[in-house]
Amino acid sequence: MTLERPATTESSPLVEVRNASKWFGPLMALNGISLEIGPGITGLVGPNGAGKTTLLKLLTGQSQASLGEIQVCGHDAWLAKAKAHVGFCPYGDATWDELSGRRLVRVTAGLHGFTGAEARRRTESVLETVGMADRADRPVRTYSKGMRQRIKLGQALVHDPDLLVLDEPLNGIDPVGREGLGDLFLRLAKAGKAVLISSHILNEMDHLADHILFVCRGKLLASGSLETIRDVLDDYPLKMRISCAAPRRVAPQLMALESVKSVTVQPPEDLFLEVQNPNRFYAEFGEFATAHDVDVHRLKATDTSAEAVFDYLMERASRPE
Amino acid sequence: MSLPVPKNETTTVRPVWFAVWPIARTALHLVFRRKLFWLLFAVASMSFLFMFGAIYLLATLRQQFPQVEKLLTNMLKDLDGSGTTYLNFMLAQGTVTMILLAFAGSVLAGNDHSRGGLMFYLSRRIGIIHYALGKLLAIGLLISLTTTLPALVLFLEYGLLGEPGDYFSEKYGIAFGIVGYGALLSVAVGLLLLALVSWMPRPVPLVMLWGGLFVFLPVLSEILSDEFDNSHWGLLNFWRDVYILGSRCFGEVDELFEGATGVVAGVSVCSIIAILFRLRQLQHRS
Repeated sequence: MTLERPATTESSPLVEVRNASKWFGPLMALNGISLEIGPGITGLVGPNGAGKTTLLKLLTGQSQASLGEIQVCGHDAWLAKAKAHVGFCPYGDATWDELSGRRLVRVTAGLHGFTGAEARRRTESVLETVGMADRADRPVRTYSKGMRQRIKLGQALVHDPDLLVLDEPLNGIDPVGREGLGDLFLRLAKAGKAVLISSHILNEMDHLADHILFVCRGKLLASGSLETIRDVLDDYPLKMRISCAAPRRVAPQLMALESVKSVTVQPPEDLFLEVQNPNRFYAEFGEFATAHDVDVHRLKATDTSAEAVFDYLMERASRPE
Repeated sequence: MSLPVPKNETTTVRPVWFAVWPIARTALHLVFRRKLFWLLFAVASMSFLFMFGAIYLLATLRQQFPQVEKLLTNMLKDLDGSGTTYLNFMLAQGTVTMILLAFAGSVLAGNDHSRGGLMFYLSRRIGIIHYALGKLLAIGLLISLTTTLPALVLFLEYGLLGEPGDYFSEKYGIAFGIVGYGALLSVAVGLLLLALVSWMPRPVPLVMLWGGLFVFLPVLSEILSDEFDNSHWGLLNFWRDVYILGSRCFGEVDELFEGATGVVAGVSVCSIIAILFRLRQLQHRS
């Protein structure tokens, strides 16, 4: 079920998915998904096994939908014409361990029909773009995770696609690497490309995506801007852990806050809270801590995993209006 | 940010069939990086070097002692420069070529299936047919490297060390025979290897099965032929079957030609079906 219609961009969408379903034997991996993707960064978020990879496979023409229609730049995604507009950055890279980064990009240029000087020019250009020109002669197996992602991004960009599909590009990357890759994605989006990033961590999309697609159990659960999603999550019952001095004194006072549903004290200094509306709680707690002079050592949400969010969204969507 | 090509710039893109070459080249590159390949290639080259030296020695003896030419020709019938010379050389290369292919098979294509490389290829503008052709080309080139290419070099050597004008004008058909037999080997053995690798990408089971096909079956075929006094059991030896078909390229017809044609054609058709079925299955699996 969809909580709202997928937002359309100002220009015509690059990708149109209409009622796409895909099943593998008895397993229904995608169930009647409809969505549109335009220029900018779109986050495809869902827990493991939600159907993200299947959707990416359909969008990149690796697999064909059992039912429904998928169009990329006006062509059926299954056809070579559509694939010419798509750059795919796969999750795995074990196959390419022995190739050098430069050779991997060159091979991809060759697969897209570029040869000789043109292939070389494109290879050097994308290596420069992804910041790997000076390290591209080493075998891929010697690269760090971040460098691998950059090289994979390079091979996806070599034919200058309109749609970039990135499968879990930030998985396992350290914070510095994430920032660098994030900047790169933003620059690509500014250059007019549609960048689709899949992730199972909602927070990864915070500073990147201007449009989010929530997928869970093969269905598009919600789509829209980050603000829209945040509004939907306003009532999300969040579990919090607060470490502070004198938790027994603070616990009854916290119960007075409207957004707090329950408080459990765990000596010597921990409090476990269940809050109803995270945004309102953060605002109330700030005032509360100042007013009551609470010495807070740590404040952490303990169940922000995508699975928890999706369970909530599923439950919310099935509620009668 | 510098993007590869400005949007208003047009570039010529080659037809999709040309993508077969980068696939083959990448597969060969991965094989050439293995030390084991070079070891086996060195073993394969020993037979070639022996033949090369023998032809040279023969030519030198003929020039210096023309009176013993008839004697030498009678003694070394296998080195008389006829089609049989090259046919037998290519047949003899079978064992080492098979061992080479058994070890190279996983690198050539198997890793794509077990490590997700197939996904990488199929997300480009190519389909499973282009992918399979690229891999077949790689296998074919590898087979040619130990059979067709050295045979052609020996042909050139034989001609150049004797009387080039006469030899090449009279026996140019041999060159076509070598190429024809080489192409047949590449297609038939390549299809079989790719089919097996598609279903059995890991090296150890592949080597065992390949060994069974090209070591156990030939031995079995000989035993059965002797036991039942029926030469048709010899058709169990696939390399021999391809040899029988290949000998036709040199104008020789074996009594088992029809049977061998049936076996090679049957194996090839089954291999094509197995390859396409497996690739489709991998493409659409969860």
